[in-house]
Amino acid sequence: MIRAMRRVRVMGPRRALEGTLRVLQDLGSMHLASPPRLPALNPSPTTRREQRLVRQLRGLVADAETARTLLDLPQSSVTAPPPEPASWASWARQARQPRRRAEELRDRRQRLEEERALLGKYREMLAAFSGLFEAGHLPAAVRAYHIVLRPGQASVVEPLRQALAEVLDSAFELRTRTLSGGDTALLLLVPLPRTARVERLLGESGVQEVPLPAGYERATATEALPRMRARLETLPTLLDEVEAGRKAEAAVAAEALPPILAAAQDAVTRLEAVGHAASTRTAFVIEGWVPTPDLPALGEALRQRIGPEITVEELPPGPDVDAPVVLHNPRLFRPFQLLVEMLPLPTYGSIDPTPFVAVFFPVFFGLMLGDIGYGVVMLGLGVLLHRRSRPGAPLHAVAQIALVCSVFTIIFGVLFGELFGDAGRRLFGLHPLVLDREEPKDIVSFLVLCVGIGGVHVLLGLVLGVFNAMHGHRRQALGRGLSAVMILLIVVALLAAVKLLPAQLLTPAVVALLVAFPVLVIAEGIVAPVELLATIGSILSYARIMALGTASVMLAVVANRLAGAIGSVVVGAIFALLFHLVNFALGLFSPTVHALRLHYVEFFGRFYSPGGVRYRPFTHWRTH
Amino acid sequence: MQIFWITLSAALAISIPALATAWAQSRIGPAAAASLAEKPELSATVIVMLAIPETMSILGFVVAMFIMLRAGG
Repeated sequence: MIRAMRRVRVMGPRRALEGTLRVLQDLGSMHLASPPRLPALNPSPTTRREQRLVRQLRGLVADAETARTLLDLPQSSVTAPPPEPASWASWARQARQPRRRAEELRDRRQRLEEERALLGKYREMLAAFSGLFEAGHLPAAVRAYHIVLRPGQASVVEPLRQALAEVLDSAFELRTRTLSGGDTALLLLVPLPRTARVERLLGESGVQEVPLPAGYERATATEALPRMRARLETLPTLLDEVEAGRKAEAAVAAEALPPILAAAQDAVTRLEAVGHAASTRTAFVIEGWVPTPDLPALGEALRQRIGPEITVEELPPGPDVDAPVVLHNPRLFRPFQLLVEMLPLPTYGSIDPTPFVAVFFPVFFGLMLGDIGYGVVMLGLGVLLHRRSRPGAPLHAVAQIALVCSVFTIIFGVLFGELFGDAGRRLFGLHPLVLDREEPKDIVSFLVLCVGIGGVHVLLGLVLGVFNAMHGHRRQALGRGLSAVMILLIVVALLAAVKLLPAQLLTPAVVALLVAFPVLVIAEGIVAPVELLATIGSILSYARIMALGTASVMLAVVANRLAGAIGSVVVGAIFALLFHLVNFALGLFSPTVHALRLHYVEFFGRFYSPGGVRYRPFTHWRTH
Repeated sequence: MQIFWITLSAALAISIPALATAWAQSRIGPAAAASLAEKPELSATVIVMLAIPETMSILGFVVAMFIMLRAGG
């Protein structure tokens, strides 16, 4: 359900504005509304000093967040709001210093890693060309170009050689070697006076020289290689030192940064909240929304901490179009709020579909997967995820949903007599209690069951649509109600036609349909028949439960038969296990997506009205 | 010979919609990934968009099943 909200107005002397905001922030229950537009009230201006402070605090927050990211610290949080410092300047310094040190460490690590990559590449290159330099040092009048071509660039070598021959005749030396990674090392020696022309040619060929690392520019291979090797051996130690420095810095910052960040974020939020107040020269007014149960505590806290001059007035309920929305459901249903909150929130005053999702989603999932073995594995994974995740985190809700779905998977597994497909029947003599999804005649019954459940689900959506539309959209409510009745009449007519219901019902049902049809067109317009057809299509769409369920059990059966079909028992068992693993992964993914789709499109489409404003109470920053 | 045509019909009933689904999802997938990169809150819409073309395959599967069942397969 959507939590009931009350619109409140807090008024008091202007000098008490800051104190009032502190109390409201401590309580953390009021969603601030836009500044009230009343005669003689103006938006509360922020002073230049406050604007400067906001800029300073935002800089502080940016420094702290950058340091946190670079030092690989987890998301910060504090257990209680920290006290504000006497001077923000010293806290700003405390946030700036770890950021700078973290940036220095990052830059140093990047330089060392680049050097390691470059030296590795050059060492291989010089080793490949070492024979060329054995005679001694490179002559002073010769310029050496070191080029590494990627695997796809090797075709430029021959055109480059021809172009060089045209320009320099034979006054150049061009050697290539294929390196271990597939790259091509290219060494070009040219007379020093002709370098300008050669560089232009290289540019036209689209190849770039890789500059030799500093200190090796004029060295021969015999000189450079031992030095490079020695340097490469020291680089891991230097990188370890940088990592140790980062860890030490992170340990210090993990203690120091969260309170600084929390205090700065709190101060920024409070200063920004001043913009939500309107004031005269002597008084201020703030309006906002408070959950109904929290309203008495708000008035009490303001009177106690500020004084009797603060008044809290409950405003009369209006159209409530901008009331914020917070979903609040019984504990059993609460994890399923996650699935509803993946869509834009429902508008205030409309129906929260969470309880219906909590009932139908696990049923659809169980009907599709329906296997004791898969259900038990899923239960195990759910328990593991539940233990590993933090209460309140989305992952915790996912684990709870997985647990409920696994229970339904086991229940339907028992009803269908399936344990890793037909393995339960073969090994333990398991028998289906309701439906055998491998039997052709039962597959048709399963299809009818799924479409029947779809009919109930869609009809429920239409009924909820009637309730939703009754507040102000009477005509729409009538249309939805009539659609529901017509769907029922169509079902009755069809069942009477195939003699599953008494044949006498056929004529009255058809007559009632003929009467209801023009009324529906008058109520909802010419699109109503199309809507009705779409509704019937939606019901048929639930056939996917049967299709996915049958596909799942067939794959499991194939996996089991694979075990027997291969000559070796061990190889067969491994193949079967892998096949079951694939089927289990598909069995987790497909039913989730399709159960969600049935809810979002087929069910929500009948009543859900998105567009609610999320409830964001004015509170302290990330406390737990 | 009849069994050949029945089997072929069932195979076509599932394979043609499956190809159509694959083509549709190949278009939706990149667009969905790009949208999610910019607006992660669209995840529910993306799930629905990806699941919509699968309806073709699923209905194709149901039709194929019925062809096989009617033929006593």
